[in-house]
Amino acid sequence: MIRRPRIPHAAKNFRFRIYFIFTVTIALLTAAFACFYVITEVNGYRSTMEREGRLLATVLAQNARLPLFAENQEALGLLAAGTARYPSVLYVTISDNEGRLLAEVSNPRDPGGGTIDMHVDVTSPGLVSSPEAVLLGHAPVVEKRVIGKVHLRLDTSSAQERLKKLVAATLAIGTLFWLVVSLLSYQVLKRVTASFNQLMRGIEDIGSGNLSARVSLESDDELGRASNAINSMAASLELRELENLSLQEELIKAMRLEVQEEKKRVMARLIHTNKMTSLGLLLSSMAHEINNPNASIRFSGHIISKIWTDAVPLLDGVWRDEGEFYLGGLPFQQARGALTENAGKIVENSERIARVIQGLRDYGVGDRARLRPDLQINAAVESALSVLACQMQKDIQLKTVLGSNIPVITGNQHQVEQVLINLILNAMQAFPDGRGEVVLSTRYEARVSEVVIDIEDNGVGISAETMERLFEPFYSTKLDRGGSGLGLYISHYIVAEHGGRLQLSSRAERGTRARVILPVADGPS
Amino acid sequence: MQLLKTLLVLLLISAPLPALAYDVLVLQSLREKGYDQAVKGVKRECAASMRTVILSDYVEIDLTRILREEHPRLIVAVGDRALEVAEKQRHTPVLYMMALHAKPRPGAPVTGVGMLLEPHRYFSVFDSLGSRRVGVICDPARTGAYVKRAQSAARRSGIDLVVREVRSPKETLAMLESLRGKVDGLWMLPDITAVSAETTEAYFLFSQGERVPLVSFADIYLSMGGAVSLAIDRYDIGRQLGSMAQSVLEGTPVDDIPVQAPRRVQMKVNEGVLRRLKLPVPGGG
Repeated sequence: MIRRPRIPHAAKNFRFRIYFIFTVTIALLTAAFACFYVITEVNGYRSTMEREGRLLATVLAQNARLPLFAENQEALGLLAAGTARYPSVLYVTISDNEGRLLAEVSNPRDPGGGTIDMHVDVTSPGLVSSPEAVLLGHAPVVEKRVIGKVHLRLDTSSAQERLKKLVAATLAIGTLFWLVVSLLSYQVLKRVTASFNQLMRGIEDIGSGNLSARVSLESDDELGRASNAINSMAASLELRELENLSLQEELIKAMRLEVQEEKKRVMARLIHTNKMTSLGLLLSSMAHEINNPNASIRFSGHIISKIWTDAVPLLDGVWRDEGEFYLGGLPFQQARGALTENAGKIVENSERIARVIQGLRDYGVGDRARLRPDLQINAAVESALSVLACQMQKDIQLKTVLGSNIPVITGNQHQVEQVLINLILNAMQAFPDGRGEVVLSTRYEARVSEVVIDIEDNGVGISAETMERLFEPFYSTKLDRGGSGLGLYISHYIVAEHGGRLQLSSRAERGTRARVILPVADGPS
Repeated sequence: MQLLKTLLVLLLISAPLPALAYDVLVLQSLREKGYDQAVKGVKRECAASMRTVILSDYVEIDLTRILREEHPRLIVAVGDRALEVAEKQRHTPVLYMMALHAKPRPGAPVTGVGMLLEPHRYFSVFDSLGSRRVGVICDPARTGAYVKRAQSAARRSGIDLVVREVRSPKETLAMLESLRGKVDGLWMLPDITAVSAETTEAYFLFSQGERVPLVSFADIYLSMGGAVSLAIDRYDIGRQLGSMAQSVLEGTPVDDIPVQAPRRVQMKVNEGVLRRLKLPVPGGG
C-alpha cells in the first residue's frame, strides 16, 4: 500500500496555494532574469575586454609600423612600455615578420583569473602605391604586406571580480525584489481571497446541514453572484427540506393506516384459513357421522327391495285370488309400483349421500400428494361437480360438455378437482345479479397432446388492474365475501406442478374464460 | 570565272603587305591606363604609321627579328622595360617616355621625355609658400643627379635645399628625424628608395608634426596630408614625345634631340592643409 504524504492543512488553503505558486514563479523568474543578466553582463564585459585588447593591439600595431619598418628598437620599446601601462595588460611583445623579438615588456603580476592573448599583424599601409606606380598611373595595390606582429596578453581577473560583484549585487537585488513582490502579492491576495474565504465559510456552514445559514458577501463581482446563487440554493433546499419533513410525516401516518388495514386483512385471512381448516375437520367428522346411518339406510333399502321383490309374487297371487286390496292406503297395483320405486330411491339417494360425503372427505382430508398415471379428466370433472352440487344456484345454469376419447393423464385427481372447483366457483361468482351461464367443456388437442378444460362464464369479466394481479397470493376482489385470495394462486401452482398452463382471458361485461391445459404424458393411447 | 579566282588570290597575297609596312614600332611594357594615355598623345602628334607591341602579352619578344622583317624607322619605348628591350639594339633610334629609371647610354640613339619636372617649378611653389629651407631625401643612385641640378636651381631661387641621402628605405625615417627643426618645407621626390609604401606615411607625419608644407609629385598625396602637388600630364608627355618622333621621322638625328623634362605641370593644392598651416595658395593671388 502506498502511503501518500500527508499534506499540511495550510497547503490545502486556496490563498496559500496561490501565494505559494506566485512566489515560486516570481522567484524562478527573478532567478532566470538574474542569471540572464549576469551572463549577458559577463559576456559583454569579456567581449569589451577583448575588444579593448584588440583595439590596444591594433593601435600599438599602427603606431609601431614605422619604427618596426625602421627597426628602431628604442622607439618600439617605448611604445610597448606605453601599452603595458594599461592595467589589464600583462605582457607586450613586438616582433618582425621573421620572428625576431624587437620589444618585450611584461608586468610581474599574477593573472589569477586567466588571460586573453591578442595577436595583431603589423602591416604596411594599404592603398599606398610606390612613387613609380603613382607617376605611371598604375592602379594602387590593395594588398597589405605584413611586416611584423604585436602580441598582447590581457589579464581577465577583473572580469572574475566583476562577475563576483555582479552575482552578489544581482542576488541581493533579486532577493529584495522577490521579498517586496511577495509581500505586495500577499497583501493583494489577502484582499482578493477575503471574499473567497467568506464564501467558503458560508458554503461550509450550509454544507454542514445548517440550511438557514447564508453567505453574507456584499459585492457585485463573480463571488458576489456566486454567493447570491448559493443563498438562493440554500433557501430552496430549506424549503424542500420542510416539504420533505411534512411529506414524511404524512407518509408515516399513511403507512400506519395501511399497516392497520393490512393487519386487518391478514387477520381476516387467518381467520378464514382457520375457518377452512375447522371446516375440513368438521367435514371429516360429519362424513364419519353421516356415513354410518347412511350405510344402514342403504342396506335397509336393499333389504326392503329384496324383500319386496320376494313378496311381490305372493302378493300378486293374493291379488289374483282375492281381488283388490290396499297397502299403506294405496291400492295394491299402485302400491306395488310405488314401493319398488321408493325402495330404489332410498338406495339411490343413499348412494348419492355416500358419494357426496366421499367427495367432501376426499376434498378435505384426501391424499393430496399421490400422482395417478391413469387420471381421467372427465371423472375429475364429475367429482368436482358432485362436490359443488350443493353450491349450485337455480338461476345459474351449469352446462357440461365433456369430450370423448380423452386420454388419461398423470396427475393428482384431488388437486385437479381442487383447481376445477376453484375455477367453477370463480365463474359462478362472476354474476352480480346471480343470473348467468357457466359452460364447462373438456377436449383433447391431439396435435399437441394436451388435454384442455375450459370454464367460461358470461359474467362481468375481470378488470385490467385485477388481471395483472390475478396470481398474487392473498389478492382477492371478494375478501369481503369470504374469498381467501389463494384460489388462483394455488390453482396456478398445481397446474404448473402438473407441467401444464392456466390461462385466464376476459372481456369486460362479456365474460371470462379460464383454460387449464394439461399435457398427456405418452401421447394418446 | 578564272579571272575572278586570279584576282582573289592576288588580293589575298597582297593584303598583309600594307600591314607590315609601318614607321614607328611602339613597345609598351604593360597594358596600363597611364601608358595608354601617353601612347594616345603620341598618336595625336605623330601621323606616322605605327604598330604597338605590348611586352606583357609575350613571354619573350624577339625584337631583332621584328626589326629585320618589319624595318620600322623608329621605336617608341613606353615604360622602363620597353626601354630596356629597345636599348638592346643599336640601329633603330629609340624615343622613350614613362620610364622613371631611364639612363640612356652615352652615344646610343636614345632620347625621350623624362618623368621628373624641372626643379625650379618646385622651388617657385616653395617660394610662394614662403619656405626658405627645403628638406629633401634622395637615393644618390636613383635621383642623385636630379638633386644636384635641383641644388643649383635652389641656389638661384634663394632657397636652401637640405639634402639627406638614403640607400635603403629603412633609413628614411631616421633621415626625416634628422630634418626636424631644420627645414620649413619638405619636398617629396619620386624616388622609390626615399619614398616607399612603408615610409610614405612618415612624410606626412613629419609635415604634420613640424607644421611644414609638403610638396609632392602626385595629387594622390594631397589626400594623405600633402599641401601642394605638381603632377605630370601623361597625355601631354605623349604629345611631347609625338612631336619628337615626328621630327626624327622627318630627318632630325636623334643625337641632336636632348632628353626633355615634361613640359606641362598640373598643380593641385589641399586647401585645408594650407589653411591649417596658415599658408597662401600658390598662384592664388
